[in-house]
Amino acid sequence: MRRLIAFLLGALLAAPLAAQQAMPVIAVPPLATPSDKPTSGGQTTLGLAWSASQLIASDLRTTGEMMAFAPDRKDYYSYPEVTAPSYPKWRARGVKALLTGFVQARDDGRLTVGCYVYDVERGRELGRTGFVVAPEEWRRAAHKCSGLAYQSLTGAPGTFDTRVAYVARSGAGAAQVKRLAIMDSDGFEHSYLTEGGADVLTPRLSPNASRLAFVSYETGKPQIRLLDLATGEQRPLLPDNDAMTFAPRFSPDGNDLLFSMTAAGNTDIYLIGVGGGGPRRLTTSPGIDTSPSFSSDGSQIAFESDRSGSQQVYVMNSDGSNQRRISFGGGGFAAPEWSPDGKRIAFTRRGLEGMRIGTMAADGSDQRLLSSGPGDEGPQWAASSRELIFQRTDPAGGNALYRVTLSGGEPRRIVTPTPGSDPDWSGTRE
Amino acid sequence: MMRTFLTLACAALVLAPVPVVAQRGHIINRILPRRAAPPQPQLVGIDALRADFLARSGSDTVLFGGDSAILGVPARATLAAQAQWLRQNPQVVIRVEGHAAVSDTREHALAVGARRAEEVRDYLVLMGVPAYQVTAVSMGKERPSGVNARAVTILVR
Repeated sequence: MRRLIAFLLGALLAAPLAAQQAMPVIAVPPLATPSDKPTSGGQTTLGLAWSASQLIASDLRTTGEMMAFAPDRKDYYSYPEVTAPSYPKWRARGVKALLTGFVQARDDGRLTVGCYVYDVERGRELGRTGFVVAPEEWRRAAHKCSGLAYQSLTGAPGTFDTRVAYVARSGAGAAQVKRLAIMDSDGFEHSYLTEGGADVLTPRLSPNASRLAFVSYETGKPQIRLLDLATGEQRPLLPDNDAMTFAPRFSPDGNDLLFSMTAAGNTDIYLIGVGGGGPRRLTTSPGIDTSPSFSSDGSQIAFESDRSGSQQVYVMNSDGSNQRRISFGGGGFAAPEWSPDGKRIAFTRRGLEGMRIGTMAADGSDQRLLSSGPGDEGPQWAASSRELIFQRTDPAGGNALYRVTLSGGEPRRIVTPTPGSDPDWSGTRE
Repeated sequence: MMRTFLTLACAALVLAPVPVVAQRGHIINRILPRRAAPPQPQLVGIDALRADFLARSGSDTVLFGGDSAILGVPARATLAAQAQWLRQNPQVVIRVEGHAAVSDTREHALAVGARRAEEVRDYLVLMGVPAYQVTAVSMGKERPSGVNARAVTILVR
């Protein structure tokens, strides 16, 4: 009980009161196992059940949107109690929701992982999910359980079984080495995708995280390349083209790519099929048109243009028609990114106080800044549409990745092996 | 032609009196053959070309204001001098690197750098430099230095 109070106190201190009052509390007691069996992953099913419940509690806590009671050994429950929780016991502890589950060894060496989420106040089940996974993939199953709990409490899809691509930087100045890196959104399964021979920028994941488009200086010029994450094969987007190309973004179905190309000093937006075909030009203004981003239904494209004199956010139909400015107000608005739920557009604002990130409604109204700057840029959406990942540059030029929730609170740093920039966040994996 | 060029390269890198000494040394050598000539810096290849280019153009860098790619009077004077040198050295290939401010956003910075690099390339071509000699490249905000609103002419070979 003392530990509980200490935890509550810590949470109270960490979050603003308004957010605190609205923040649901979920208990994650240790998952059960029908019988403790060894697995090929090194741990027994009981050990994996313990690790999985810790990971679920940690996942839910990192959202900043709910309080999750960490698993406690005194809260072990029996296998039958997975589907028949003791509501009065949890009600007495003041929790709103409860996650139970089990890890069971199968005859074929794999595991069955099941999860249930309950509304403790009303005494009813909110959802259930189950998977058969290899013992080495227990983390993904736990992330899926976290997603179930998150969706049950917020109504939005979870972002736990997702990947983050970014540019890992080592060294300084002209000798700085930039490599493409990718990791699970909790920092595990980290790997480098390029060697660092050529500078790389702005990795963008296809929606199901199977492909990566990025800018490379392989040819000496900034040009977009495509990387197949399953095979590791790379190819230039426009093999026979000498022009500078950058700002790649996949369409929601992953079949098309938006990008910018500079020709005769003029940068415009183009659309091309990933499988082939020629690029189609969508903008023709004499200014810089870049950072295109599809709406979730693919019918519209947000982009930035400095045709009015400063960088502002514009929206056009996906064929390039009906171009209209939607951002107004002090400073410039750059790098728009349409949210997966289609409701809001994230942006980087350039002003006298430096660069800050924020969001606006899809029609440009209701602007809200989410970071204090002065070196914050490049927000990318989580699959939930409730959180953003972005890059912060400190005054000394150091880079780091941060995430921030739309509901408020301070941005939190994401730990990477080396300084990181240019993050992109995938959708939920199948 | 080649000798003229080498003399110029020497003039560019070492103190002005040295070529005079060299000439005198040549004469002295003729009169007193046993006396060794003073050692001369051996500048050959791309380093010599770069030194000469820098000395004769005044600068390898032109500056811009804000996010603009407009070439001011000092920039045009520098580029005119660069163009004259490039016309006289048609075998040289250059790369114009356009840079943008660190305070710019990543992708806009790439576009601004591209516009600056292409503006400089186009001006050099306007001043009579064959287009095949020049490649324009944007470095965006990836190579920050004291002044980032700049374009730098780099001799590749």
